[in-house]
Amino acid sequence: MQADRLRQSGKRILQIFLQGGVSQLESWDPKPGTRYGGPFRAIPTSVPGMHISELLPHTARRMHHLSIVRSINSKINDHRQGMLYMERGRPAGDFPYLGSVASKYLAGPEATLPGYIHITTRGLNDQTAAFLGAQHAELTLRGVQPPDNLQLPGQLDPELDAQRESLRRQFDEPFARRRSNAELANYDAAFKQAELLMARKKIFAGEASPRDLERYGTHDFAKYCLLARTLLENGATCVKVTHHGYDSHAENFNFHLEQLEEFDKPFSMLLDDLHDRGMLDSTLVLICSEFGRTPKINTKYGRDHWGTAWSTVLGGCGVQPGAIIGATNAEGTEVADREVDSGHLFHTYLRAVGLDTYAEHDLPGRSIPIGDPAAEEIGELLS
Amino acid sequence: MRVDHTLWTLLAVSLMTALCGSLAAAPPLHQQIDALIEAQEGYVPDAAAQTDDAAFLRRVYLDLGGCLPSGEALHEFLGDTTENKRAQVIDRLLASEQHATRMQYVLDELLMERRADKHVPAVDWQTYLRQSVLDNKPWNVLVREILSADGSEPKTRPAAKFLLDRDLRREDVTRDLGRIFLGRDLQCAQCHDHPTVDDYLQRHYFGLTAFLSRSYLFKDPKSGKTSIGEKAEGDVEFTSVFTSETDATPPRMLDLPPLDDPSPAEELYKTKPAKDARAIPTYSRRLRLAEAMIDDANGAFRRNIANRLWALMMGRGLVEPLDMMHPQNPPTHPEVLDLLAEALLDNDYDLRYLLRELALTRTYQRSSQASEGSPADTASYSVARLKPLSAEQLAIAMMQATGVVDPTAPLDEAAQKSVATFAKMFGSAGQSTRFDAAAEQVLFLRNSPLIQSWLKTEDGLVADLNALKDLKDLKDLKDLETPELAETFYLRVYSRLPLPEESRRIAEYLNAASDRRLAIEQLTWASLVSSEFRFNH
Amino acid sequence: MNPAETKTEPVAASVDPVHTHVVAEYKHQRPLTTLACDPAGRLLAAGAEDLNVQLWDLQSDRQRTLEGHDSWVRSVRFSADGSRLYTACWGGVLKAWDLTADQPQVLYSVQAHQGSARWVGVSPDGRWLVTCGNDLLVKIWDAGDGSLRQVFAGHARHVYGAQFHPTAPLLVSQDLVGGVKLWNYLTGQPEHTFVADMMTGYDKKFAADMGGSRDLQFDPDGTAWASAGITKLTNGFAGDQDPLIVLFDWQTCKPLRRFHAAKNFKGIAWGVRFHRSGFVIGAGAHKNGKGALWFYNRQQDEPFHTVATPRAARGLDLIGEDRFAVAHADGTASVYQMTEPEAEPQTEPQTETEG
Repeated sequence: MQADRLRQSGKRILQIFLQGGVSQLESWDPKPGTRYGGPFRAIPTSVPGMHISELLPHTARRMHHLSIVRSINSKINDHRQGMLYMERGRPAGDFPYLGSVASKYLAGPEATLPGYIHITTRGLNDQTAAFLGAQHAELTLRGVQPPDNLQLPGQLDPELDAQRESLRRQFDEPFARRRSNAELANYDAAFKQAELLMARKKIFAGEASPRDLERYGTHDFAKYCLLARTLLENGATCVKVTHHGYDSHAENFNFHLEQLEEFDKPFSMLLDDLHDRGMLDSTLVLICSEFGRTPKINTKYGRDHWGTAWSTVLGGCGVQPGAIIGATNAEGTEVADREVDSGHLFHTYLRAVGLDTYAEHDLPGRSIPIGDPAAEEIGELLS
Repeated sequence: MRVDHTLWTLLAVSLMTALCGSLAAAPPLHQQIDALIEAQEGYVPDAAAQTDDAAFLRRVYLDLGGCLPSGEALHEFLGDTTENKRAQVIDRLLASEQHATRMQYVLDELLMERRADKHVPAVDWQTYLRQSVLDNKPWNVLVREILSADGSEPKTRPAAKFLLDRDLRREDVTRDLGRIFLGRDLQCAQCHDHPTVDDYLQRHYFGLTAFLSRSYLFKDPKSGKTSIGEKAEGDVEFTSVFTSETDATPPRMLDLPPLDDPSPAEELYKTKPAKDARAIPTYSRRLRLAEAMIDDANGAFRRNIANRLWALMMGRGLVEPLDMMHPQNPPTHPEVLDLLAEALLDNDYDLRYLLRELALTRTYQRSSQASEGSPADTASYSVARLKPLSAEQLAIAMMQATGVVDPTAPLDEAAQKSVATFAKMFGSAGQSTRFDAAAEQVLFLRNSPLIQSWLKTEDGLVADLNALKDLKDLKDLKDLETPELAETFYLRVYSRLPLPEESRRIAEYLNAASDRRLAIEQLTWASLVSSEFRFNH
Repeated sequence: MNPAETKTEPVAASVDPVHTHVVAEYKHQRPLTTLACDPAGRLLAAGAEDLNVQLWDLQSDRQRTLEGHDSWVRSVRFSADGSRLYTACWGGVLKAWDLTADQPQVLYSVQAHQGSARWVGVSPDGRWLVTCGNDLLVKIWDAGDGSLRQVFAGHARHVYGAQFHPTAPLLVSQDLVGGVKLWNYLTGQPEHTFVADMMTGYDKKFAADMGGSRDLQFDPDGTAWASAGITKLTNGFAGDQDPLIVLFDWQTCKPLRRFHAAKNFKGIAWGVRFHRSGFVIGAGAHKNGKGALWFYNRQQDEPFHTVATPRAARGLDLIGEDRFAVAHADGTASVYQMTEPEAEPQTEPQTETEG
């Protein structure tokens, strides 16, 4: 079983999701001075010859840890469908999200935190686990707010708590017989997640240190990044942090200024900390979005949805650093070289953490390949 | 001539007889539903038995009464040998106060989607909903009241909550009219940037918006109360993404013909707009909305509520998600949806009638447990689906089981507060059949003081069970004690009698316990959070 | 015509906004972002969605292109004598151009701000320039040589606009979240701070602020100033907010008027100018890509006249007293005349009178 081997490897994933569709032209694929280039300039990065938008000065100095894929054509302009393609690696169908796959194959049964934790403030309740079972579903943390009710009721000690939990399972076991399993498994998984959280409640106890807040910033996303660091340090397998506010059909430039400024520094600090703690070699870092934004600028200074030619960034966990994969044409209106889609990215991400994506899911009696058989990994990113 | 006339009469009479005969022979709706469900490809006969009486009673009490059957009710039902006792209990429940409370919660969640109070106090609105259910107000009448009330009259003000508490914000109201009353989310239509969405959606959206574009919130300077005023003029303009053409649209209900304003009356206003006066136009587009919505020509209106009631009873809509009815997302059982929608039309949108017919179906009364060797396939309705208890059902059932409340009496303030706490923790924003178990809900069940307090209630379940020992002097026949305890326990928590095996395990557990009271608390907690309790099965 | 002379004369009675019609159009291939006219009414300069400034001679219609910025130009201003053009760009660079040469040359170029320079303004005596930007600073420059004279720090969010008072040694600046500051450039100190909270909004869904002054102008008599922007943000990311021009009283800093557009007009007010005869002109862009010109008097918040334009309006400046120019999102700089047309009536734009 590849799961057994992988659980030993201690590989993990940090996934930053820029929700709404970050503009590739204001981030990873700037085209200043061209027809659709927008007002911002490109700046050099720590990788000779690689330029990114001036809106990302801190990230620019760390690009030697990261690589850019500039040639995604996912052909989807719908938020939800685009997000699902990115997360599931398949354009359609009920497949597990990247984080749920990581939870299934990278997190062991002895994991001390839920395998897939999503820090966000907007509750999109998604069935992320599909057929992998609810224990691999995303645990949503609403920002840095610790979950309520982490403390056992006064009169109960852990032993009594374990006893009542065992009684619960005794009640559940006969009821589950010959009944459809999905809801029951979902309910049961929530008990397991609650238990893990109770056992690790100290993670949520401390305030961020003044030093960390100074480095990361004091706004919400900065605090989410600090929590992500804590979770990753404490054995979380996949931590997803959503940063909202990129769906700029109007005022694209002012909103990207605001949002990317908020993203740039805390992300860079988090990358530094992972690196300094020696975790970057075993942590796959992803900056995802559901699609990019149209080159054409509308009359509201906005850019609209654009799945045709956009970019993403990844690094760590042995991914070839400092690379630029593919290219768009001069005005960014189509992919000019090395076209890939979200299926390729999904393969690449999971192969980077050591999973054989051509193998089938570990499901008795079913035959479902982990990655989309119609796509393959971006080999040049994987050494 | 005479011959001809006779011939025609004869023909007419025989035709009449044939028609009447066929009418008389038309089976009741619930049988028609079962026939369609069982004829559909994928249906597996005998995949599950019909529910036994206890399971049926719990199911129908929760669905129609929002609570568990009492021990007495269960005993009575099990002992009843009347053939149509299930129909009788359905009728009793539908006529009960608890049914009004249950539907009040259902309608509130459907219509207000658990938003915070704004202009109309929740208690007035809930009283209004509850009374409407008690009166068995037809759905079209209820919706007409909700969409036409302007909040200016104390008597009809509660009904105006739907519009007022959304601050009459055009985007919100248009979207919610589409989702809640027509079963289709037109929000994507508003945005001009989704090339995958058909152009017609945009027309639907703006056609619906046009009914309300002249209405505005008016705050009475004297009373400080906000109500709805309406201007006599103004049109909605929109620009198509696809053609870049700008178009003005009159009010329009989906694909039905546009409703142009009548030629202007001499006086445009009954009350002219002014700083301190709420404008009332001679011709109101908003009142027109109420009529257009419930018009018989508007099939989407009845299909939506038919699908939603089906989902309420069966645990899943014929169209899912419930607000995504569109040609690319057809119903799983199209004929059933047609049948339900037309039955509503023929029966004047009588929701109680439809709930009764649904409860009478074999489909509804099928067990959620598959027969030995059969797959637990719920998609074809061969096996019944597990339905998570709603927040209110769960709160009331837990309080009822632990002896905190008697649901046949009105809930006291503390109990209502507990229901509100559950609504916040377990409630979904709007009607949904999806079950999401979040870790924070489980943390609440495990650790919140509220649940603990119910285990400690004086004269509550735990105390009752604990007292059973004292009622008897059975020191030497200790094993006999637990069957009675187990029976009481299972009746009050699970609304059924325990199996011998279950009684035995309880006996073993209690006999091994050093602190009996605590052991019963543990047992009770575990049963309250078990899946058999969490779901309507 | 010498502007100094006209100031003492009454405004010609023939000037009436209800007559507003297009008399000239200048076309650039990229959407325009802003414009300005020289006080003599001879030149028109506009920034666009490219790296250049377009300079049109209104008499000869000659078009010149000023190349040198490395980002979009977002603010342009002429010197009082029309011999110079000052430009500020998203990249934070301030440039001064010598317009006396046939092909205008850059006199100086300074990195005025880290991050965008959103504004350049000229002092009434022509000696100083004011800029502001995303580094949260307001700066005063020597217009002659581009040397930095003063820096005002205190805004907590991106500063959108800054303007000199016509007579007092003060300037006013406004930021993204409605923060308004009055700075005394003799003492170098802020004299007053308040929040124009009606001109900003937080989009909860997208977790971002929107607001700012998109244009900032003093009434030439110094008794009031106007700021153009937005209000009632409902969905800034889709362009759902209302345009708003607020008229502030100079003495009290209280809003005298909240000039708004028609109820259904969703978008942004991008320009505002005071006409000497007392009315105020506003220009804005609807989210559907069209635009409007609004004419207000001081007695009511509603425009007394509105001109619908088929293209979004993004900048506005007066040309003398009977004309004004508007930068449009399709690349056209249109010149509008406010007196009765001499020849046959224009077919566009359509006009309507309200209120």
